[in-house]
Amino acid sequence: MKGKLEPSERQKLVEEGKNLKERLVTLEGDLLKLTDELQQEAQCVPNMTHPDVPVGGEDCSTIRKMVGKPREFSFFVKDHVQLGKDLNIFDFDAAAEVSGSKFYYLKNEAVMLELGLINWAVSEVMKRGFTPLTTPEIVRSSVVEKCGFQPRGTNTQVYSIEGSDQCLIGTAEIPVGGIHMDSIIPELSLPLKYVAFSHCFRTEAGAAGAATRGLYRVHQFSKVEMFILCRPEESNSFHKELIEIEEDLFSSLGLHFKTLDMATEDLGAPAYRKFDVEAWMPGLGRYGEISSASNCTDYQSRRLGIRYRPESSVPPKKGKGSSASTQFVHTLNATACAVPRMIVCLLENYQQQDGSVVIPEPLRPFMGGLEIITPKSK
Amino acid sequence: MGLKLCLSSTLKFSPISILRPISQSTKNPLRRSLLLVRALSADAAAGTTTIAPDTTPDDFRVAKAPQWKAAIDFKWIRENKEAVAANVKNRNSNANIDLVVELYDKLMNVQKEVEGLRAERNVVANRMKGKLEPSERQKLVEEGKNLKERLVTLEEDLLNLTDELQQEAQCVPNMTHPDVPVGGEDCSSIRKMVGKASEFSFSVKDHVQLGKDLNIFDFDAAAEVSGSKFYYLKNEAVMLEMGLINWAVSEVMKRGFTPLITPEIVRSSVVEKCGFQPRGTNTQVYSIEGSDQCLIGTAEIPVGGIHMDSIIPESSLPLKYVAFSHCFRTEAGAAGAATRGLYRVHQFSKVEMFILCRPEESNSFHEELIEIEEELFSSLGLHFKYASDFISSGFKFSFDVLTIVFPIHFPLAGLMTSSNFHRTIDMATQDLGAPAYRKFDVEAWMPGLGRYGEISSASNCTDYQSRRLGIRYRPESSIPPKKGKGSSTPTRFVHTLNATACAVPRMIICLLENYQQEDGSVVIPEPLRRFMGGLEIITPKIQIRC
Repeated sequence: MKGKLEPSERQKLVEEGKNLKERLVTLEGDLLKLTDELQQEAQCVPNMTHPDVPVGGEDCSTIRKMVGKPREFSFFVKDHVQLGKDLNIFDFDAAAEVSGSKFYYLKNEAVMLELGLINWAVSEVMKRGFTPLTTPEIVRSSVVEKCGFQPRGTNTQVYSIEGSDQCLIGTAEIPVGGIHMDSIIPELSLPLKYVAFSHCFRTEAGAAGAATRGLYRVHQFSKVEMFILCRPEESNSFHKELIEIEEDLFSSLGLHFKTLDMATEDLGAPAYRKFDVEAWMPGLGRYGEISSASNCTDYQSRRLGIRYRPESSVPPKKGKGSSASTQFVHTLNATACAVPRMIVCLLENYQQQDGSVVIPEPLRPFMGGLEIITPKSK
Repeated sequence: MGLKLCLSSTLKFSPISILRPISQSTKNPLRRSLLLVRALSADAAAGTTTIAPDTTPDDFRVAKAPQWKAAIDFKWIRENKEAVAANVKNRNSNANIDLVVELYDKLMNVQKEVEGLRAERNVVANRMKGKLEPSERQKLVEEGKNLKERLVTLEEDLLNLTDELQQEAQCVPNMTHPDVPVGGEDCSSIRKMVGKASEFSFSVKDHVQLGKDLNIFDFDAAAEVSGSKFYYLKNEAVMLEMGLINWAVSEVMKRGFTPLITPEIVRSSVVEKCGFQPRGTNTQVYSIEGSDQCLIGTAEIPVGGIHMDSIIPESSLPLKYVAFSHCFRTEAGAAGAATRGLYRVHQFSKVEMFILCRPEESNSFHEELIEIEEELFSSLGLHFKYASDFISSGFKFSFDVLTIVFPIHFPLAGLMTSSNFHRTIDMATQDLGAPAYRKFDVEAWMPGLGRYGEISSASNCTDYQSRRLGIRYRPESSIPPKKGKGSSTPTRFVHTLNATACAVPRMIICLLENYQQEDGSVVIPEPLRRFMGGLEIITPKIQIRC
């Protein structure tokens, strides 16, 4: 229409242009809707699965490793609730009044145990080259979703803050995943390895049943979490590294445990592969999960927008930012220490006949040298 | 005696002048919506923006019936009306003592009437047991019916009056220690100044800049993930936080306090009973959606709740707790300059001391708590060289060693004389907050900020909180109990006190800014080193990582 035209030709073109514009507006509307619908459906698609992962329900999970064996007791074993009562180190009743069920106060030596476990775990993992962090425990709900959790589903595990789009974190994985949100990391910086300490809050909605006594399932707890961002080709080996760190930590405390390769139905949408560690809890009379290590490959990074720029061996063309195109990192997370479960383990496994509890040697320097928790006369 | 609300914590809570009244049962599941507005206290730190004070009287009335009752001594208020009213005035509170007394008198009258009517009803009922003429019986029946109707009406009045009285009386702040200066923040008096002058021969940085150069904070990522006033601690700052917590808990345990770790989610009624306002506009309290729970702003709340609705044997007193928790505060209404970096944040770690004791001991425990705080801060290198007492009219100095008394304010750039000072302030009546009978704040000199910043607060709440939380003790009786009759002496309310042992972010600011070296490194004070794996100094690093 920029050229010289006969009036009738111009008129035809104007109408053609108008016609095209209307069709475009409609189609662009369709495009937006389709994009949304596609996102909605596609975001439900779980991560792919490592070929070695057993297919099926929880009874299909396989044992990768077994460390130690159950201790033999020559006396009647107590559970951690009874031990705690006799040692005067917990208060569940006052917490039920003040806060509700599944809350607790730790008192006396249990406080030293919690602080000791946290310090020990952070210190041990730092030695292995992880950067220590403490994180916010209130985060935007969008960050929770990008990590693969559902803040607003029924039976959600996530507490929301009234009058805001913020939530409480259920694990430090969330704020740590969020650190590098929407960024491009230089390849040189990878892998990034963090060890993060935070309190964690979980509604435990829908978790009825026997496994709720005492410290086993609570709404608030301290946790030391490991998090790695790496290049895709390295995530399988970092997954092994993480589970080895966990196994070293728990072995050093003298615990008997098994490492499970979780079956497909127990993975959770973000995980490509997940190893759980279950420790023997003599007072409960069964194994209880004390940690979990997941390789999320690019599931979280595609949602959080975390990319890296591979070093290019081709020198950049002058004037064209011709660095190699970016790729998504892989993310992994693993529990170094979930304090209440560890307290359950330590109390129940290290109890003595007189009701006292021996502190495993690696923890003692972090507990002012305390070697044993003894019952006190009231 | 009296009704006070104590809000002692390192980061200032607004003093409460209006508190929600409570109704019959402590276990009432009814959720109530409160329309309380909290007064905002002025920041004690010199030179900061003064937050516009005080409550709007309008949002006064509670929407629904209150859920719990404070055991307020109305009779005492009535008998000491002038003193109570004068105290209300000194504190700039909106409480209406005349109305409280009026309602109380009304209540007493209705109570008397009700008792009278009940007695009459009993008489009628008894008479109806005997042999009667039909006409007599009929008269009695009608009389009984009549009495019953009047009773029903009066009993309802009684309930309403009880609620109204609670509503009004709960607004009445605690009484005040006679030595507390009357007035606004400029009337607060300095109890003690501790420190020595240290000279910086280089340009002093603030903690934000130091943190950046040392790569130990991340505010930007936190703003993306969570919002403003959140932060990540990294590297040595993590060791500093953990070291401070372990050190503070350990030091206070040595002094006979029982260590505790507490829930950080609590029922909102417990928050109210401690004297905070979960639902006012500009509330400091985060609420959990879909529940009557809140996040704590200080461990004072869950610790106060431990002995809720109990009677403690006198031999157990005093109970002394040192509690570690994370604290969450909305900092609504806290606009202004005092928000940079770690100074005012939504989430932080704090080690808090809490004492429950007999009334006659609370003043001396208050002194004990402030002494512990002063010892803790001095031990971190805020050297104690002298003490001076300022008294409002005419001061007297007593020096052991003459050193500079006042901080010298210089601009940050260039040569600057700064001082590792901290000072203890006896807070004036308008800065007390409703629960506190007396409150001592400790402020430390923050050279990077160029002013004093509050690092701790110690309050004696006397029986304000215990009357709301229902915490009593049974004095040991010297009279042996009569057989078959639980003839113990009547219970009394305990006194509660709370004091900050360590508020981590403020301490981090203090340590970074005061111990910075010219090359940007920061020396760790000796007492903390063994809680930090022996670390002696934080040094700037060459950055290759994010």
